[in-house]
Amino acid sequence: MTIANVAVGTEEHSATLRRRRIRSVLFHTFVLAVTAVVLYPALWMFMSSLKPTSDIVGNVSLLPENASLDNFFKALEGIGGVSFWTFFWNSMILAVLSVVGIALSSSVTAYAFARIDFPGRRVWFALMIGTLLLPFHVVIIPQYIIFNNLGLVNTFVPLLIGKFLAAEAFFVFLMVQFMRNLPRELDEAARIDGAGHVRIFTAIMLPLMKPALATASIFAFIWNWNDFLGPLLYLKDPDRYTLPIALRLFVDQTSTSDYGAQMAMAVLALIPVLLFFMVFQRYLVGGVATTGLKG
Amino acid sequence: MRYSRFSSLLAGAMALALVVGACSSSSSPVASSGGETGPVTITYTWWGNADRASRNEQALTLFKKKYPNITVQTSFIDFTGYWTARATEAAGRSLPDVMATDMAYLREYSANGHLLDLSKYIGNTINLSGFDQSLVKAGMVDGKQIAIPTSTNTLALFYNPDLLKQAGVEPPAADYTWADYNKFLAAVSDAGKKTADGHKIYGAIDYATTFWFFLQWLVQEGKTPFNDDGSFGFKEQDMKDFLALSADLRKAGQIYPVDRGIQLLPKGGFTMNESASEFSWDNFLAGYVADSGTKNIQVMPVPTGSNGTKGMFWKPSQLLSAGANTKHPDAAAMLINFLLTDPEVGAIFGTSKGVPADKAQRDAMKPKEGSVDATVVAYEKAVADQVTAPVPLPVKGFGSIEAEYKTLGEELDYGKITIDEFVKTWFAEAATMTQ
Amino acid sequence: MTLTERMTRTGGPATAPPSAATKRRRAAETRAGYAFLAPWLLGFFALTAGPMLASLFLAFTNYNLFAPPSWVGLGNFQTLLHDPRFAQSVKVTVAYVLVGTPVKLIAALAVAMLLNNRRRGQGLYRSAFYAPSLIGASVSIAIVWKAMFIDRGIVDQIGQFFGIGWGGWVGNPTMTMPMFILLTAWQFGAPMVIFLAGLKQVPAELYEAASVDGAGPVRKFLMITLPMISPVLFFNLLLETIHAFQIFASAFIISGGTGGPAGSTLFYTLYLYLRGFQDFRMGYAAAMAWLLVVVVGIITLIFFRSSRSWVYYRGEAE
Repeated sequence: MTIANVAVGTEEHSATLRRRRIRSVLFHTFVLAVTAVVLYPALWMFMSSLKPTSDIVGNVSLLPENASLDNFFKALEGIGGVSFWTFFWNSMILAVLSVVGIALSSSVTAYAFARIDFPGRRVWFALMIGTLLLPFHVVIIPQYIIFNNLGLVNTFVPLLIGKFLAAEAFFVFLMVQFMRNLPRELDEAARIDGAGHVRIFTAIMLPLMKPALATASIFAFIWNWNDFLGPLLYLKDPDRYTLPIALRLFVDQTSTSDYGAQMAMAVLALIPVLLFFMVFQRYLVGGVATTGLKG
Repeated sequence: MRYSRFSSLLAGAMALALVVGACSSSSSPVASSGGETGPVTITYTWWGNADRASRNEQALTLFKKKYPNITVQTSFIDFTGYWTARATEAAGRSLPDVMATDMAYLREYSANGHLLDLSKYIGNTINLSGFDQSLVKAGMVDGKQIAIPTSTNTLALFYNPDLLKQAGVEPPAADYTWADYNKFLAAVSDAGKKTADGHKIYGAIDYATTFWFFLQWLVQEGKTPFNDDGSFGFKEQDMKDFLALSADLRKAGQIYPVDRGIQLLPKGGFTMNESASEFSWDNFLAGYVADSGTKNIQVMPVPTGSNGTKGMFWKPSQLLSAGANTKHPDAAAMLINFLLTDPEVGAIFGTSKGVPADKAQRDAMKPKEGSVDATVVAYEKAVADQVTAPVPLPVKGFGSIEAEYKTLGEELDYGKITIDEFVKTWFAEAATMTQ
Repeated sequence: MTLTERMTRTGGPATAPPSAATKRRRAAETRAGYAFLAPWLLGFFALTAGPMLASLFLAFTNYNLFAPPSWVGLGNFQTLLHDPRFAQSVKVTVAYVLVGTPVKLIAALAVAMLLNNRRRGQGLYRSAFYAPSLIGASVSIAIVWKAMFIDRGIVDQIGQFFGIGWGGWVGNPTMTMPMFILLTAWQFGAPMVIFLAGLKQVPAELYEAASVDGAGPVRKFLMITLPMISPVLFFNLLLETIHAFQIFASAFIISGGTGGPAGSTLFYTLYLYLRGFQDFRMGYAAAMAWLLVVVVGIITLIFFRSSRSWVYYRGEAE
């Protein structure tokens, strides 16, 4: 290479570097702008939790005049003798168990629909999709009567048993879509090796389903964390209340309302979900593309 | 191997869930053979916020001391969630042993025997000698005593003296009429003053769009809103007349703008110190003072009707009932009696639910000078000789027709419907809702 | 032809009867299928099917929760047709589905594609975009959202910056639907996450090969991205549509349970809830629910039928 060529080469190299840096700056600026817009309500929520109750409703200014952590202390005091941490742990137990139940039962059910050909499959699949269509308000009364007759009211069982029995078609359908998108060559290779469905499911499918399982876990956790109607109907003892119920107790139309404490508790309730998401979103990474299918 | 990890995970999770379930159910036993002698557990449910919860807990601590063999399991939630949960329980015949009830839903719950008839306990376990007999009757439906009031309230006009001073308007005189009130509202709104944030100050929101104010006006006009057989004691023309009371104000834009009111929910014009007056139940003073931050809110009676009387009535603000499916009716009656008549309970609750119905509880209150409790008690003492009318006993479907009235009132204030359309729609809906 | 099919072909005419081995294999497949399906079947029959059938029965009765249901045949459905509030709820819901769903999905896909690379801060950005979905279901959203759309709130200020004086949206019956659509679109984080998972499954080699062939970003998007993510696209499209028809929590929280102002947020399921739990007319609510099932069921069927022509599953190619 002549010196001239090297010089040109370096110029091109630095031009590319410059272009890449500009693109990176543009990217980050644009994304940050969108992020700011998207996060404004969340920011408002956080700022309100620092304001006294009387300054929250009807107030248009973002920043508090006298920021203080009083609301947080009030929220942490709990309600009616039940501490914030009790609500927190109840929510946590229910959410974590829901995630486990849904991950297990939905993947197993989805495998049956996506990878096994058996008589009646189409009918069951249609029925499963059908369960998505009915608004839940009209089934809660019959379901309540069932659980009441079994003596299971005021326990966690009614809230969890459906999760372990794949009762939420959303997750099953999600897994089905992912599984149908995985190439069959791996299945067949394993089958030639003498593997049955159980081995194919556990050794091949599950590892490849990481993005789907991560997605389902995220949704399962969050929906359960925020679920209000189930706990309202089935949990009677305030010791068993979850955070969404506790949040409603701060604002009651027949007595005085404490919006500040509600905001503070809502902010506190957000943190675990956000953390859960930040941890699990790392699993939203390449599936088939990075596993050895080449050659 | 993944398989064994998978199955052990599954087994572990199910075991955990079952353990949680078992632990929970074992801690809420229903004693199959419960008399007053053996230890008994009953459930007691109410609606309200954290403050009311702590007051109830204080009262129950006292109860435990007096009746050590009765354990009370408590439950509470906000008002809206409360009724969803109770309705579901009613469908499953599993209402709590003792529960707070409201006039609006008494008939639905008493139909088909969902609430226990407490008549046989009155005079022995439940001592109502300190009660006004007409008040006790308010909890009687079809000859059965299915609820007993805990406290009462009556309607009042609240006003903000600071805003009135700013607008340069005097508060209404003691014997003011509805026409006087309209003049007062027009004066405040026309004064054109603004708050520090630059929002215009008005006299009040549209008072004609609240159902209970319509009922109060009917009583003033000498009508009985609801007959014993469940039919209405008023006609379409009556409703039109009432809605017409504030029609001029609506037309002239002198009522608090409805769209801003909605933007401010859960607060309102009055609690944002943008409107100078508001009608409400007298025990809502605590909420108004807390939400608005205005400590010197004043209370005065409602306007005088066309025949010279105010026709005010005591309305039970809350009642206590027992679920008919209770396995411990005697213990439930004991708790009800305690909550209704024990003087210390009166001191604990103050006027947070309304003024206690029992005289001993009222006397035990001893509110602090200048406190909200003191103001409410003083107000009720002052108007006591004018509170002579019987309370309208809500019909079946009351909750729905009340909500329908409010919804239509909103549409009226937006100018989307006329008074005639309002009345026609309301009566048509009410016919189906009160079947 | 897949390996399995090649292996199972025994040769001879296609109408040859299945051999014993095939029959055994099919029986084994059936056993395996039902074994894997067992949890769902148990849940379906124990928890779901019974209540669903009960609610279907209730649709033909008057049921006020306190007395046993009484049969009225098609009475509820006849009342529905003449109920102006019902018509309003249909109008509100359909408007929301037609506008809100595409807006939300487009935002979700756009942002997912934006975040589908190895740049720094991925985790933080994704979490930031997902945060709205977390807050959206919380009861505090009512106050937060109102604060933004109130008179002189941030949205009003933005409008005034551009010279539009639209005032507060919350109390304005014509602006509450756009406000709702924004609220929905704001929560695009949920479908975005699903799109991300789907995008991650697209092999990078395809893009590289396309670059070599000289394809630009638009062609890459249309010819590679869309077909490869069609399974999740179909999922998101179908489920967002179904959810949009059933929206309840935000409507209830923001309108304070009234469907106001002036019925502008009276969504179908909210109206159903009001009739069922506020007016104690469960039969009527059940009738509304099952009417919704039929309508959304037909739409779902159309989606599934159409999916045969544009959804491509890599596991089922050929």
